[in-house]
Amino acid sequence: MENIKKEIKPGIKLHMIKSDKFKTNLIALFISSELTRENITKNALISTILRRGTKNMTTQEEISKQMEEMYGASYDSGIDKIGDNQVIKFYIETINDNYLPDKKENLLEKSLEKILEIAFNPYVENNEFKNEYVEQEKNFIQKIIEGKIDSKARYAFERCIEEMYKNEPYGLYKFGYIEDLEKINGKNLYEYYQQLIQNAKIDIFISGLIDEKIEEVIEKNENIKKLQAREAKYKIPITLKKDKKEENIITESMDVSQGKLLIGLDVNIEDPELRYDTLVYNALLGGTANSKLFQNVREKAHLAYVASSNYMRHKGNIIINCGIDIENYEKALDLVRVQIQDMKDEKFSGEDLNNVKTGIIDTIKTVKDEQDTQISYYFSQELCKEDVTIDEYIKKIENVTKEDVINIANKVSINTIYFLKN
Amino acid sequence: MQVIESLKLKEKIYKEKLDNGLTVMIIPKKGIEKKYMIWGTNYGSNDSVFFVPGEEQETTVPNGVAHFLEHKLFEQANGTNSLDVLTSLGVDANAYTTNDHTAYLFEGTNNFYEAMDELMDYVQHPYFTDENVEKEKGIIGQEIMMYDDNPDWRVYLNVMKAMYHNNPIKIDITGTIETIEKIDKEILYKCYNTFYNPSNMLLIIAGDFEPNSILEEVKKRLIDKKSNGTIKRVYPEEPDEIAQKNIEQKLEVSRPLYAIGIKDKVIDSSLENKNEIIKKHLGVTMLLNLLVGTSSNLYQRLYKDGTMLTPPTIDYEFGRTYAHILVMGQSGNPELIYEEFKKEIENLKQNGIKEEDFNRIKKMFYGNYIKQYNDIVDISRIVLSDYFKGINSFDYLDEIETINVEYLEQLLKDVFKEEKMVISIVKN
Repeated sequence: MENIKKEIKPGIKLHMIKSDKFKTNLIALFISSELTRENITKNALISTILRRGTKNMTTQEEISKQMEEMYGASYDSGIDKIGDNQVIKFYIETINDNYLPDKKENLLEKSLEKILEIAFNPYVENNEFKNEYVEQEKNFIQKIIEGKIDSKARYAFERCIEEMYKNEPYGLYKFGYIEDLEKINGKNLYEYYQQLIQNAKIDIFISGLIDEKIEEVIEKNENIKKLQAREAKYKIPITLKKDKKEENIITESMDVSQGKLLIGLDVNIEDPELRYDTLVYNALLGGTANSKLFQNVREKAHLAYVASSNYMRHKGNIIINCGIDIENYEKALDLVRVQIQDMKDEKFSGEDLNNVKTGIIDTIKTVKDEQDTQISYYFSQELCKEDVTIDEYIKKIENVTKEDVINIANKVSINTIYFLKN
Repeated sequence: MQVIESLKLKEKIYKEKLDNGLTVMIIPKKGIEKKYMIWGTNYGSNDSVFFVPGEEQETTVPNGVAHFLEHKLFEQANGTNSLDVLTSLGVDANAYTTNDHTAYLFEGTNNFYEAMDELMDYVQHPYFTDENVEKEKGIIGQEIMMYDDNPDWRVYLNVMKAMYHNNPIKIDITGTIETIEKIDKEILYKCYNTFYNPSNMLLIIAGDFEPNSILEEVKKRLIDKKSNGTIKRVYPEEPDEIAQKNIEQKLEVSRPLYAIGIKDKVIDSSLENKNEIIKKHLGVTMLLNLLVGTSSNLYQRLYKDGTMLTPPTIDYEFGRTYAHILVMGQSGNPELIYEEFKKEIENLKQNGIKEEDFNRIKKMFYGNYIKQYNDIVDISRIVLSDYFKGINSFDYLDEIETINVEYLEQLLKDVFKEEKMVISIVKN
């Protein structure tokens, strides 16, 4: 058994991944809801306000001290976009019993209780989040949003996505918008929060040295008892045919010495099974050091240090990324176009194909060697309502043929060309 | 083989020094798919003045040669590139250069022995021509420009410039466009032949292996090379004093980035002092946690007024020729953080460290060290990097026990001195 699933209540699921390979136990809690402009900023705020205090640990300092006391339990929270969903993520990691100097501590149970307390039993005053905390967290989120420009590579990537999904949920920035922060206060944020935790999809993952007893701990937990059964509202990620005719070309200026060229591709497919073919296509195009982009843009033309592409499987896009001299824009873009065309023209060998397949399979095999990767894998399966085991996933990759890849190559079109220059 | 064991970590390292001087370490781990190999040489961007063994005259090379070599070693005489070959084998291959070492590595599940053939082949067979050296200057030039735009890297390098007068830690690992221009194939061969001698290198293999048989696999793949003995390296004289109190650079950032540095004396890494370094490393980072960690008074205070929105990154970096504290982060008011940090140090000196705070931080350190040893990739990297500093990584967990409040209070007086402090800021 890889991942044992158990419905706690409709809409709330426990996933147990048993393994004795690690020195740690990792618990993850995901709250998923639909991406909307209305809620995106509030969700971002909730991911941070909750670490300010709980009913029983009333300050951030108290939370930190208790985590340190638990042999440095690492607590972390964050926000993510997966398909058209926004996911609030909480993690807590502790060392497992085999490495504890004092076995009586029961760190796993303790850390599970802490994470549930942080997520579902926040510090409130008069049925509101403390306004002082809310104002400080608004300031924090504002700084993160403003900080978008700090990493130029990341910024260019986000801008390319925004342009590709203008006026669509996926084009929203995951930390939200400064102008939306103004309207938020302790009262309306708490109201929203209560509504969110009673309606969102909730998944709890526990990975490590665990047994069935943990199920009971969850069922008896007061914070879990307070949660009602729900018909969770979220979007199952799907791939779509866009068949966009025109290329969208965007050029922006910033104080940079290196230009960032991003090219967003649509993969116009509907059958989700074709995602495996697309993964292989992407590896050939720009996913590895043997890929067309790396070989031709970097190694042969010496135009770039970074020349790669990424497949976003939950949206059906491939994003090409090159860091180039600003005056080489035309040259690099032409060369990228040649690579996309060469894929259509079957300019890759059976050996190339086998090599990238081996590479993908190799990566998939190591998923079980890392706890957080394993959790991400199963959570993605959960959101997509799929149940593909790692062995089945490998089979699907093995079955991809040259014809399958060419089929994808012919369904790829350029959606957006984004260039950041000085 | 010699066995280094940690009972607390439940980990073993099998170590062997071969006749040609190469040190090999095997870290066996049952039941995992992942396999990892890393081959490092005790040679980094700081090593540009040295004596080639057997020569009387000292050699000086342009900055950036170690990193240039890292790029060029992948190129083979038969026209192939080893990075491509390794990728074809389905493994994830890479290389990196730091100020004191360079390493070549791959991780994967299948084709391990084929990948091992390739890695050991290319590291032992350099192939430099005028053309392939020229070509690489374009790619490295782009890499240099990428770092020029990276505010995190700038603020880091600038704090080094503020602390150090002459130590090469203050130069870019990649070199600059001007220095790499001076690099040619003769320079590359000279540095290769000096520093890529087996006696200057450490090879680590981790995964589900039987130590003796995998050691035989390593031996089979070694070419005949003799140990060339100790390489004398020359580092410029570095005064104890800082070079300048502060340094500022303009870059487009949303909020200023800051790096506070405290220059420290280097501990001589001779055998009897080995654990003194570990103890100091632990002690200084414990103090930093007490001063500005997540549960500290200072962090909680500055968080509330919006000055410090995330706990700063804290570190004690040290090598053969340098040692310093770093406190880095992003803030609208780095000057205030600097002032408050200095005040907090004075407060702690005056009031002393509370036993309960100390015990809590100690427990956290214990757990944090255990957590670092989950993944064979992390384990191998820690062991490699510590080895080149003359340290046995497993000693850290035992050394935590030896630390007490008195030791920390003494360390606080000796290391956290105002006249040794600098600040680097990057802002609009």
